[in-house]
Amino acid sequence: MLYACVYATILLGFFGILLKENLVMKIIAMDVMSTGVIALFVLVAAKGGVYTPILAAGTAGNYADPVPQAVILTAIVIGFSIQALMLVAVMKLARDNPTLETRAIEEEYRP
Amino acid sequence: MTLWTVLWIALPFLVAFSLYLLPQGDRSSRSIFDYRVLALGVTLLSLAYAITLFFQPAPLALPLLDSFGVSLLADNLSAFFILTNTLVVAAVILYCWGTDKAKFFYTQVIILHGSINAVFICADLISLYVALEVIGIAAFLLIAHPRTNRSLWVALRYLFISNTAMLFYLIGAVLVYQTQQSFAFTGLRGASAEAQTLIFLGLLVKGGIFVSGLWLPQTHSEAESPVSALLSGVVVKAGVFPLVRFALMVETLDPAVRLFGVGAAVLGVIYALVETDTKRVLACSTLSQVGWILAIPEAAGFYALAHGLGKAALFLVVGKLPSRSLPVLRQQPIDTAYWVPMTIGSLSISGFPFLAGFSAKMLTLKQGLPWQVAVLNGAAVGTAILYAKFVFLPHRPTAKADRWAAQPGLWMALTLLLGGLLLANLGYLDAYAPGNVVKALTIIGLGCLIHWLVLQRIGLVLPRVMERFDHLVGSMSLVLVVLFWITWSWIA
Repeated sequence: MLYACVYATILLGFFGILLKENLVMKIIAMDVMSTGVIALFVLVAAKGGVYTPILAAGTAGNYADPVPQAVILTAIVIGFSIQALMLVAVMKLARDNPTLETRAIEEEYRP
Repeated sequence: MTLWTVLWIALPFLVAFSLYLLPQGDRSSRSIFDYRVLALGVTLLSLAYAITLFFQPAPLALPLLDSFGVSLLADNLSAFFILTNTLVVAAVILYCWGTDKAKFFYTQVIILHGSINAVFICADLISLYVALEVIGIAAFLLIAHPRTNRSLWVALRYLFISNTAMLFYLIGAVLVYQTQQSFAFTGLRGASAEAQTLIFLGLLVKGGIFVSGLWLPQTHSEAESPVSALLSGVVVKAGVFPLVRFALMVETLDPAVRLFGVGAAVLGVIYALVETDTKRVLACSTLSQVGWILAIPEAAGFYALAHGLGKAALFLVVGKLPSRSLPVLRQQPIDTAYWVPMTIGSLSISGFPFLAGFSAKMLTLKQGLPWQVAVLNGAAVGTAILYAKFVFLPHRPTAKADRWAAQPGLWMALTLLLGGLLLANLGYLDAYAPGNVVKALTIIGLGCLIHWLVLQRIGLVLPRVMERFDHLVGSMSLVLVVLFWITWSWIA
């Protein structure tokens, strides 16, 4: 069930990129998609019946796998820096194209 | 060797970030801490590393302790790609030496150089992801460097497409981990079809291959010439290299890689033949040449080297021509001093003997499967036709005495690149069998003939509708479906 929700989030984000006209909406859609991917990493690592992977006294037994969550931290940081860069570019573009419609921008800057 | 590798990987980033700490001003720009000297120093170190790799008897593998498949792998294939990266970046730095490029530009070039090097030695999906994303950011900043609206839009489009592709790639990476408990490339062998498909798609887009690579012509042609040289010379190879690695490591992926390579080689040539803008012709030709690299993974390293050097040289020269339009250039003769290096570069990529392109092409064709060789020969003729456009441009010597002194950077860069082409040609001397030489000359002759007889007389225009942003994203989903069908039917 959770997997279905996560994949739905990813798909919705992708369709947002595809179908939204406005550039800012496209970027937000991409954020939704990357949130879905991050949730997938968390979900893959989540397991019932095992301990949190934190070293403490008195917890002997099986630990949950910390690797996917550790790895996705990097991806979160990268994703957020890319969003920031894109939004800066959009801010500059918005000065001359206030509507930020992808189709119009594309027509204008075609060689 | 381990320490040497770690130092070599870390140094570009160290230099790039400490560049900001160095004082700015006239005095420091003449000292050894001049940012251009430091940038060139980094590439020299890479050159040394690539040469040591060539003489390394066995591949060097560096797994992370207690690893989850996170590891580095440096072998002969990496050495070829690292050498390409080194020479192209060094040439671009030399080219920009006398210009008023800001420190920021060189910082980005070094970061780009470092992250591309990282791609060429990594052997797991997560290191690859991080390196590819850093490349994306650095390339974005370089394309947007002129800060005009158009360059910003082209850069934004590039970053958007590549980041969306990398999201698909990440899904694939976690699916591989789920079944294999490891991020290593070798884990792909037993991975599910959907995991392979998603990773494949991400790299196809990043490497500009086949339909997924149609973002490439506009991006590469609208950037400034030195940035175009970087993008076409090495950045696309960062997407191609992992696919080559996969094909060599995992047998089930090999046929798909070859198929997409051949498809890209043909598609790129068709696009390039009908173009009339010099930089777009070169960019479309890149689309075709990455296909060649991918089509025969065993010969990929040498081909990538030959293509990187030749294409970078061509972009640098073409940027100096008075016009970008080929019909205009046919009317007004260009300076012979530009025509000569342009012809050498063109001939090398067309596969003319005594240049690296010839040896690379012969090595590639020798190791190809029969069906591939047939199609690739056709693509080779196409390549010869499109470079005939450059070779047959009218030219005359102009008597400007200060031409050499005015642009020392350009000539140093071209000497490095074209000298590299001549030297690399010695890497595979077996190519000089009489049959091969005759074949290469026939291909080029045929290309020139078709150029004169047919192509100059017809004006065909392909619609650029496929290069629109929406269609680029949409084609990602289509390629995903096709890829899934291919991998699924081959695994089953």
